[in-house]
Amino acid sequence: MSKSLENIVTNWVAVESKVIDFGCGDGSLLKALISSKSITGYGVENDPKKIQDCIANGISVIQQDIDQGLFEYKNMDFDMAIMASSIQCLRRPKEAMETILEVASQCVITLPNFGNWELRTGLLTGKMPSSSQLPAKWYETENIHLCTIADFEELCKTEAFNIHRKVYLNKQGETSWLTDRFPNIFAAEAVYLIGK
Amino acid sequence: MNVHSEKIVFDLPIQLESGATLSSFELMIETYGELNQNKDNAVLVCHAFSGSHHAAGIKTEGEKPGWWDQIIGDGKTIDTSKYFVVSVNNLGGCNGSSGPTSLSPETNKLYGSSFPEVSVKDWINAQKILLDHLEIGLWQMVAGGSLGGMQALQWAVSYPNLVKRAAIIAASSTISSQNIALNEVAREIIRKDENFAGGDYHLQNIKPKKGLKAARMLGHITYLSEANMRKRFGRKLQNPDTKIDDEVSYEVENYLQYKGEQFSEAFDANSYILMTKAMDSFDPAKDFNQDLVECFKNIQAKLFIASFDSDWLFPKEYGKAIQIAAIKAGVRSSYVEFEGDYGHDSFLFNSNNYATTLKNFLESDE
Repeated sequence: MSKSLENIVTNWVAVESKVIDFGCGDGSLLKALISSKSITGYGVENDPKKIQDCIANGISVIQQDIDQGLFEYKNMDFDMAIMASSIQCLRRPKEAMETILEVASQCVITLPNFGNWELRTGLLTGKMPSSSQLPAKWYETENIHLCTIADFEELCKTEAFNIHRKVYLNKQGETSWLTDRFPNIFAAEAVYLIGK
Repeated sequence: MNVHSEKIVFDLPIQLESGATLSSFELMIETYGELNQNKDNAVLVCHAFSGSHHAAGIKTEGEKPGWWDQIIGDGKTIDTSKYFVVSVNNLGGCNGSSGPTSLSPETNKLYGSSFPEVSVKDWINAQKILLDHLEIGLWQMVAGGSLGGMQALQWAVSYPNLVKRAAIIAASSTISSQNIALNEVAREIIRKDENFAGGDYHLQNIKPKKGLKAARMLGHITYLSEANMRKRFGRKLQNPDTKIDDEVSYEVENYLQYKGEQFSEAFDANSYILMTKAMDSFDPAKDFNQDLVECFKNIQAKLFIASFDSDWLFPKEYGKAIQIAAIKAGVRSSYVEFEGDYGHDSFLFNSNNYATTLKNFLESDE
């Protein structure tokens, strides 16, 4: 996770809140939030090596395939759920978002923007484009539900997922007037705080 | 690795959960490694129902390595060059601690069937007395598999400020009706041995070995996985030259006969009954209106809860249920499911991911 993304999430998380991070990797975001915001944090991860790293980092981790077990974490009093760069990997992203909003009243979702101009021009070559956010070949990618910022925000509107806050980042992980003005063209990544 | 073995006599009474009191008691222990100057590098390992204080190393020639020898030792998962590891034979056992095969200080005769019922909490309380005796400040980790994992959990609940980490492996917060049923079949087989004599077989200098053997054969099947048995024995016929008796046809039969026989020589029938009863009655939430979340709210230790995919005796749902209650209670806790070839017994063996994860847990930041 980029430092700027970490900063954005840190700003949105309340002090001493209870946070669950779906797809937590080595637990570094939770570790940062524990030290800066004194949160109680749990990560969900299914990769044995990353789980080992979480535990070495002193982070609480739950082994779970996110596609199968989101519903298990309802009624656990989470204040915030984080799903950074994994919503597009899920088999049923819309249902996953509905479930996440039952796990916690607020959810941070980050999204690689498939509408970015580099990807658009890449597609003009007649082949599936790639970028630093989306480096894998089409047959190897875990991203089975890619979408653009426009697509995602349309889904939020029709499904009444309220976007409380959002930040658009360019590929350097920075905000700029271009990404703010034309996010669906210039943003490489979008970060949302979503509630019901 | 420095291995030290000792029988410690505690000349003080211990009140048991059943209401009975032992006026004094003995604990047989083994330790590995050295306690550091700050007395804060100690790890307690708790044995499963038929285990003993002999958890690692070989003290005398011909002795078998301890039950967790693959995990405990210099440079191993629980590294005895860094940690001081303590292992205790639990009360009611038959390996040197006060139990049915030891002398009652009141009568100066073997306890036999008169040894009182014991519980996991009783064991923890005795281990706490040991902690004070050894002048250890706290446990960096309490760890164990199966009934040993239940002790680790009870430690975290009973003495929250004395446990930094609890590794609860292939265990459960209560055992299932099916588990109790299997234990009861084993106990029934033992009780119905004509040599059982109401548990006072020692008075006649006999042993209910047949019952103990058959009970162990049944138990042993439940510790293995179907896949493991298929791989190891399949339907292979036993070599006639090495048959344990003429009735045996298949390798798996010979193996179970051999294991059962060995066990019936080494273990005590009354201890078998006491230890399985302690497993049946384990329920840390019973003091908290059966509310496991309430029960966990005092826990200060970090929990490491692990299950094995091939374990059908204590399946992964048991481990998950512990963690779900821990999350609700806000207790720092991890749940990991490992691949294990050996069914319930997988916790005894060193496999790469399991060993690394457990080591990371022990050596993690607080």
